[in-house]
Amino acid sequence: MIELIISLISITLQTSAPLLLASIGECIVERGGILNLGIEGAMLIGAFTGFISAYFTKNLLIGILASIIGGIAIVLFFGFLVIEMNLDQVISALAINLLSYGICIYFFRIIFSQGSLPYISELLSPIPIPILSEIPIIGMILFNQTIFVYIALISIPIAYYLIFKTRYGLSLRATGENPSIAYRLGVNVSKVRYIALIIEGIFVGIAGGTFCLSMFNVFDVRITAAKGFMAVSIVILGRWNPIGVFGGALLFGFAEALSLWIGTLIIGPISASISQLLSILPYVVTIIALLIGGRKAKGPASLGAPFSRE
Amino acid sequence: MSSQIPSFFSNDIVLHVEGIRKVYPNGVIANDNVTLSVLKGEIHAILGENGAGKTTLVNIIAGCIKPDAGEIYVNGKKVKIDNPRTAIKLGIGVVHQHFILIPTLTVIENIALSLNNSGFRLNLSKVKERIIQLSNLLNLKIDFNTKVEELPVGLKQKVEILRVLCQNANILILDEPTSVLTPIEVEEFFRILRNLKEKGCSIILITHKVKEALSISDRITIMRKGRIIKTLTPKETNEEELSLLIIGEKQNSESISFTNENNNTKKILLSVNNLNVRGDRGELSVKNVSFSLYSGEILGIAGIAGNGQKELVEALTGLRKPESGTIIIMDENVVNKKPKFLIKKGMAYIPEDRIGRGVVLTMSLAENAILKRFEESPFSNKTIMNKNSIMNYAHELIKKFGIIAPNPNIEVSNLSGGNIQRLIVARELSYNAKILIAENPTAGLDVRATDFTHRIFLDLKSKGVGILLISADLDELLKLSDRILVMYNGKIMKEFNRNEYDIYKIAKLMLGIEVN
Amino acid sequence: MNSSKLIGLYRALLSIILTFLVTSIFLIINNTNPLLAYYYIFIGAFGNINLIIETLVRATPILIISLGLAISFRCKVWNIGAEGQLYIGAMLGTITAIALGESFFTFPIAFIMSLIGGALWASIPAFMKSKLGINEVITTFLMNFISINFVQWLLSFPLKSPETLFPESERIPNSAILPVLIPYTRMHLGIVIAFFLILPIIHFIMMKTTFGFKLKVVGENPEVARYSGIDVEKILFLALVISGALAGMAGFIEVAGIQFRMRPTISPGYGYTGIVIALLGQNNPIGISLASIFIAAIINGSSTMSRMLNQPQGIVDFIQGLLIMFVLASNYILRYVSKKELIKL
Repeated sequence: MIELIISLISITLQTSAPLLLASIGECIVERGGILNLGIEGAMLIGAFTGFISAYFTKNLLIGILASIIGGIAIVLFFGFLVIEMNLDQVISALAINLLSYGICIYFFRIIFSQGSLPYISELLSPIPIPILSEIPIIGMILFNQTIFVYIALISIPIAYYLIFKTRYGLSLRATGENPSIAYRLGVNVSKVRYIALIIEGIFVGIAGGTFCLSMFNVFDVRITAAKGFMAVSIVILGRWNPIGVFGGALLFGFAEALSLWIGTLIIGPISASISQLLSILPYVVTIIALLIGGRKAKGPASLGAPFSRE
Repeated sequence: MSSQIPSFFSNDIVLHVEGIRKVYPNGVIANDNVTLSVLKGEIHAILGENGAGKTTLVNIIAGCIKPDAGEIYVNGKKVKIDNPRTAIKLGIGVVHQHFILIPTLTVIENIALSLNNSGFRLNLSKVKERIIQLSNLLNLKIDFNTKVEELPVGLKQKVEILRVLCQNANILILDEPTSVLTPIEVEEFFRILRNLKEKGCSIILITHKVKEALSISDRITIMRKGRIIKTLTPKETNEEELSLLIIGEKQNSESISFTNENNNTKKILLSVNNLNVRGDRGELSVKNVSFSLYSGEILGIAGIAGNGQKELVEALTGLRKPESGTIIIMDENVVNKKPKFLIKKGMAYIPEDRIGRGVVLTMSLAENAILKRFEESPFSNKTIMNKNSIMNYAHELIKKFGIIAPNPNIEVSNLSGGNIQRLIVARELSYNAKILIAENPTAGLDVRATDFTHRIFLDLKSKGVGILLISADLDELLKLSDRILVMYNGKIMKEFNRNEYDIYKIAKLMLGIEVN
Repeated sequence: MNSSKLIGLYRALLSIILTFLVTSIFLIINNTNPLLAYYYIFIGAFGNINLIIETLVRATPILIISLGLAISFRCKVWNIGAEGQLYIGAMLGTITAIALGESFFTFPIAFIMSLIGGALWASIPAFMKSKLGINEVITTFLMNFISINFVQWLLSFPLKSPETLFPESERIPNSAILPVLIPYTRMHLGIVIAFFLILPIIHFIMMKTTFGFKLKVVGENPEVARYSGIDVEKILFLALVISGALAGMAGFIEVAGIQFRMRPTISPGYGYTGIVIALLGQNNPIGISLASIFIAAIINGSSTMSRMLNQPQGIVDFIQGLLIMFVLASNYILRYVSKKELIKL
């Protein structure tokens, strides 16, 4: 039984990692007043570029790097639409998501011929941390994970420090509350927002990479499965604070892990039925969590609002 | 017109603007060939009415607005100030009329935000040291870790000045700084200004108050309709001359005759009893307010913005639920009724924020004209709209209210501010309103549009409409109102009948100073 | 045609031209003559009467969905959950039809149940939006995953037809099937219903009724709407629910006109295609009807083109992504141009 529970917690950390990375990135951007609902697409692009690069170079680290670059590129493009062209953030995000989807489907088939199913022969293996991983029980859970889990966990204090303890973070929070006042106080609003977007691109790109480089060894356009939107929900539930975001990511990651875990427990003819039904669990949990916890959420005052200098 | 500076002073000119021109997209010429010099260590007042172009000039110097033409020199060097950062770097510190503080951040954070020191880490303790040093100069003793939203207005202003000083500014621009201060605070404030002046700062004081300009400044520049009229020293002029220069030649507006009928013979249209309303942040913004509005009268509410007028209006128009109390319109308690019900009852409303709350910019003039009546005949039969009658009606309004527009299909965003106001007035008055609530109805309008609005109000009054006029413009209130209620800190301080009007008493009450 | 409609037309044409330009570049890179590719797309969509009918068959569900989306987009409610609403509506309609069996009332009742299904499904995010202020983009999208996976489960297990190997429902009764109008084609009554009944009704609602007017005011300036006595929350709720109902209807018409069974593959992303069409059609029902035929032609035509020129299938999704991007961008370009021309009065 203990082994099962350990595996449940371990899976939870794995399933939480992409959610945590994406929502930490989104948290930073939303602190600066931009609502980026396009991270679903950005994650997909991150998964795509990561997969392609890892496939051709046979080097998973280059895969991660490519995921980051893909993530940054698409998020910056979103930034161009909403900052430079001052377009509606929600519709721009819809466009980004559909475009990312189209790009991935089309270019995947341009690169790999119709009907072929390319795969990466080796996934990222867990990296046990010396000594710590030998601690009984906890060591197995916490210190024998893939690099993505470690990056995700480290991203929490990094984001916290960045938002609350740096000069940049102060400018970011001011921009999110009221960009025109921040501008008058000498803050370079566009620059602050672009930096936030680049950081988000890095995190979201890595989040995309987790799918193709550590969880599955194939690429599919359905691979992100609304994780980006879950990440946005997590930011709301976590009240725009990295620590709260951590809790939210764990909750949703747990829901997903639970659905996988129960699926493996049940044997017999109904197992297929149950595990298919359980696949909706993470989404149901998200909706219910939003119903309960989304009510009095008050984000940065200018979240989603357009800003022009005069 | 060039500024009158003796040439031997020129080494001491810290700020010089030359030929500044700014025309807004709606055609208003806010600044027209403005040329002005500010000397080292002087307090230079810029005096003018609301809408004279003072704030535009401030915003141009602060780098918030790009001028269409003109040059700026700081310490003799030509500079291009295309964003606020540049202005801060050049030592120009601006205290805007609307405070530029982020309410959810602390005092220290707000100040740290605008400082140009380098470094990645946010070193608040270093900022705090500097704040404490300079705060003695301002006699400011507060906990600097307080969130700005928790500070009273007067302290917010001090925080603003503190911020500017922390930026090492040597040119201070203060836009209407005394409008939020009590007379006692004003005295102290002036002492601070003189102090700063002695330390070598140059101060530009934007004001519309002649007395203040005379008492504190070394030189006074008068602005009117976007132009510089004259620069004088206080010694060579007096209150009367300045007032004339500010206003310009008299407008030939008809004198307004008042029929001071006894209120007893009139009907009570609106009666508010012990009304309490909470503001956005849960604070009690309207405290135990009671008054009655009679038919055929204009009841003025005087007060400095932010003393509960907004919340009162929102409660009256059905947009905000009162905490307690009653609002009775023609014998019916309308508390908790929706705006739609109140509109049907005959309540018209001219909001202060005309663009944000008065019209839909992206819709046509015709559509805006029927915004409150589209479910009435003949514009619709409740479900289906009747385009012909809407167009006919819009044509009618255009003619009757002198709205300048080629046709009723034009998008409202293409109309000027004055025409938008006419459209709103036209719409609000078109459904035989019995009560009109008007919030700063002439703010930002030119003389013609203002005059037009006033005439309409008096005409309505003669027809028996009750008008509740909420205005920050005391002159407007004195000119139009039959009675004036003074509101301060959410409370009605006192009621004045027309024969008791005393501008100084009212002004003091607006600042919360009790008078006998 | 007034100037705002004309600008809308320019905007749509500009974005189509830009999309084709960018697509051409990638076709050339992929060693394909773009003109030849567009020729095959056209032939594949309109080459003969049968192909034209197939294009209309394809256009029908996406037309109905995008008409619904136009209503919600008009008041700036961004329903991206039409896909899931379609599945729930189609499923409920199918269940109803099977349960009722052969009868005169089977079709109308099943049809109405599909509307109710879509509407109910949309009412959850609609409630969350209007009462709790939770962003509908997040909730509608997440609920797609619930509904599609749930329907997949229903069709794989409890409601699976015993006769087939695939996850699909039993065949609906003949009385629930929409009659074919031209023999030996798939030209079914649903196409006529969509273009000659639903389209005029939605056009009428949006352009001529007070409800349509309210949608517009709420979308353009909710603050003013509130001041004018419009119940903003109610409008937001209704708009989302109506768009859900239409998505559900689209699903059932697909079942009753084409598939005759409920299948988990009933929509290859029509809910998302509907977004592209609603935006390309500038929320104008007439524009939307043209846009839905246009997109349907691209979907059908490009599969012909892919076969003829050995191109990957995914080009349709790529084109759709580019289209929505350029609709946005052309919005900006034309806004920029027209701002310079206008003189304030």
